[in-house]
Amino acid sequence: MMGQNQILPLWLDPRTKILLLLLCVLSAMAAPSLQYEFLLVAGIGILGILCGKWRYALKGMVFYAMVYLFTVWAMNSMTGTLRNMFVAFLGLFHKVFPCGMLSGIVISTTKVSEFLSAMNHIHAPKKLIIPLAVMLRYIPTIGEDWRYIKDAMRMRDVSPSFKGFITNPGITIDCVYVPLMMAASKAADELSVAAVTRGIENPNPRTCLIQIRLGAGDAFTTLCFAVFFLAGMYLKEVG
Amino acid sequence: MFELRNVSFSYSGHTDGGLRSISLRIPNGECVLLCGRSGCGKTTVTRLINGLIPNFYPGTLEGEVLLDGKPIAETPMYQIADRVGSVFQNPRTQFFNVDTDSEIAFGIENKALPPIELSRRVKLTSKELGIEGLQNRNIFQLSGGEKQKIAFASVYAMNPDVYLLDEPSSNLDMASIRALGDYVRLIKSQGKTILIAEHRLYYLMEVADRIVYLEQGEIAGSYTPREFCKLSGAERRKMGLRAIDLREELPECPATPQSGLTLELKDVSLFHKKRIILEHISLKAGQGEVIGVAGCNGAGKTTFSRALCGLHKECSGSFLWNDEPMNHKKRLRLSYLVMQDVNYQLFAESVEAECTFGIKNPDRELTKQTMEELGLLSFRKRHPNTLSGGQKQRVAAAVSLISGKELLIFDEPTSGLDYDSMAQVGGLIRKLAALGKIIFVVTHDYEFICRTCTRVLHFNSGKMQDDFLVSTENETKLRNLFSIDP
Amino acid sequence: MNNQPKLECNGLTVKDLVTTGIFSAIFFIFTMFGGVFFAVNPVLTFYMPMGSALLCGPIYLLLVAKVHKRWSITILGVIMGIVWFVTGMHWAFSLGYIGMGIIADMTAGLGHYKCKKLNMLSYMLISLGGIFTYLIFFIDPQGWAGAMLKNGTEQSYIDAMHTASPSWLPVVMIVGTLFVAAFSAWVGGNMLRKQFEKAGITV
Repeated sequence: MMGQNQILPLWLDPRTKILLLLLCVLSAMAAPSLQYEFLLVAGIGILGILCGKWRYALKGMVFYAMVYLFTVWAMNSMTGTLRNMFVAFLGLFHKVFPCGMLSGIVISTTKVSEFLSAMNHIHAPKKLIIPLAVMLRYIPTIGEDWRYIKDAMRMRDVSPSFKGFITNPGITIDCVYVPLMMAASKAADELSVAAVTRGIENPNPRTCLIQIRLGAGDAFTTLCFAVFFLAGMYLKEVG
Repeated sequence: MFELRNVSFSYSGHTDGGLRSISLRIPNGECVLLCGRSGCGKTTVTRLINGLIPNFYPGTLEGEVLLDGKPIAETPMYQIADRVGSVFQNPRTQFFNVDTDSEIAFGIENKALPPIELSRRVKLTSKELGIEGLQNRNIFQLSGGEKQKIAFASVYAMNPDVYLLDEPSSNLDMASIRALGDYVRLIKSQGKTILIAEHRLYYLMEVADRIVYLEQGEIAGSYTPREFCKLSGAERRKMGLRAIDLREELPECPATPQSGLTLELKDVSLFHKKRIILEHISLKAGQGEVIGVAGCNGAGKTTFSRALCGLHKECSGSFLWNDEPMNHKKRLRLSYLVMQDVNYQLFAESVEAECTFGIKNPDRELTKQTMEELGLLSFRKRHPNTLSGGQKQRVAAAVSLISGKELLIFDEPTSGLDYDSMAQVGGLIRKLAALGKIIFVVTHDYEFICRTCTRVLHFNSGKMQDDFLVSTENETKLRNLFSIDP
Repeated sequence: MNNQPKLECNGLTVKDLVTTGIFSAIFFIFTMFGGVFFAVNPVLTFYMPMGSALLCGPIYLLLVAKVHKRWSITILGVIMGIVWFVTGMHWAFSLGYIGMGIIADMTAGLGHYKCKKLNMLSYMLISLGGIFTYLIFFIDPQGWAGAMLKNGTEQSYIDAMHTASPSWLPVVMIVGTLFVAAFSAWVGGNMLRKQFEKAGITV
């Protein structure tokens, strides 16, 4: 199992990662000042480096630093409608970026099988796990289908691009949606059959091949983020 | 021990595929091969046994289906799944997970076995089926044959008593079919009961105990392998069955001399992301030629087809049409690829609309004429999705004719087809060749090559290893290409 | 002889769940594709829900036509909610989709999932899932931008909030999204009639 005999790269249980995402969202919501957000991003960057995604973490931190400086300048120097426009947009950006950056780390370090195992552990209902698992499994298939459809469109002299959509919307719409939906419909039938003939309707709860366990790393990381969040709330009350 | 007692079934909404008063007994440990034309009911029999009828496919069912004396209809599907494992024909749509290990464990996870047992079984399955090299990999990166192996492994891990295989070799190449045959031999040696519905018969001749021939929903014949082999080729073809011994297939097509317009490839090399796929291909092809493209999986046949069409742009060297160089745009205008899954190419709501789709000023007369020539006139108002696989191919061929394409490429047109349909596709392709088109067919269907192709290209190790005519002189070469012992 | 497929509780079979999952995947991809261009643009960010609504009508209507049972749309909303949460989007996106998913499910349910007009309305409602984030900004611009504006002067801060946002923008956003969603549903309805029903893939 990953991360047991070595500390780095840090491996976290998917449940911990979900919790961290939640804490991040709450922290971003409760952020008392821009400096706090910067510290949050820095913290996430450190986590990213620990998880082995150091290039991604550094890029994220640098990008945020640039937007941070821009924000400070914009709020002081801009006026009127231009400023208002940026107030709305940057407000959303500062709330979303930390969580988005953390999300990138979470998604790139979690395998689908681990995620589904976590869902199983928290006893999520089968009626939710099955569609979620199917969704995750079908997303790459959409990519494959789209490549075939693009080839087919080119051979029929229909351009699979934005330009094609503008010049000939009716045909482009048919080309894009119809084969995709037909393939999806067929896949739904065949996938259900393959699942049902392997006993998915068994009322007993499923077990999982991939085993996940909470460890010291999970506890420590959660503690750090929780403390940070509480500090933020305190500062907001005080400030 | 399975028994069907006077079973009649008809699907609600379909007329074909039903059964009429079938009685069949399959004792434990027997391997039964179900064969017959498309729509004869062999898939329906498998669905009765794994419980898909009546739990998944609605219809009217009469008679009894018994598993060890107990009626299947009263058993929920997940309990049937403990005893009966099913493998289907499309490797792309059978897997539920993204990685191989989880997929192998899928069935036993549903059974709620403890994790230590799950791990043990996955390891044991990988070892016994020889797929240790496929462990812990992303399923989307596997080939069709490898995906089918994982599908089989997933059922194997559940250790059912009965294996149901529904046309499992349809989308596989020769090497994968051989591996599938080995798997069937393995489970037979373990004493499992096996029921296989198939069109491709040759790889099962040595492992089947009994061969049951179905026609229009009734059992029209039951043979031992020896009796079955005694049937003459002509009799077998009349029954709509494919070859049982590939060594008996002989090359038929006389090579037509090159005349008229020509396609030439001069020192063409194909790349993908800077990696060389194929290099130094030079060939000339003339009107009326039907050129088979063969090679094992990953040899670059698909890249070659797409490059010919102008869909794959990373090429060097020159493509010449009548000595005029063609860039990829010109190649796109000139050629048409009929994909293995034709559904991706059908966009319109009727056959007629499909034939004129995307054309600015369609020639109605030409459209009608083409549809008539290809036997599509009676379907003109029907939605393409309601047609059979062979009919959809005809629609794609009609589209190419109406669009004035000169170079046609068919990608695996005969996977999963019975004898009659395969012959029809062969007829279609020969008709197109007679109309003066240059046709390439990517295929590993030996029977089909013998009947339809005039020439064969063999791609291997990044090069075009061979380019020869399909004739009696080259019979040995052809057989070696497909690893058929003389 | 019992010919009905065996049902799980709440009436959703494995096939329904798998269908919901597959169409959720397509819905998600098209939502992202339609919205991302608007979301990253400061001027056009408010129009993101419209971009997504434009593309997803046919997908939604086909899902309803195939499953036509309770809870399928809710599951779609919940999955979208989970996806927005895991990708780090603002929490109002997640809750918006989950909430509107439930409302859309009930709306379509009034017509037993077979009434075309109610299904269209249902789609319009679920397309509103993405507007709540922006509504929060309009309702409380101070809280929204508070953190940022602390860096400026107090006066400029107050000035900014007075002329913060024109009151017509939220109306344009809501009405525009509904209108675009209606159009997308109309295109989807045509596609259903002309293609999918004729092809036999709707139940």
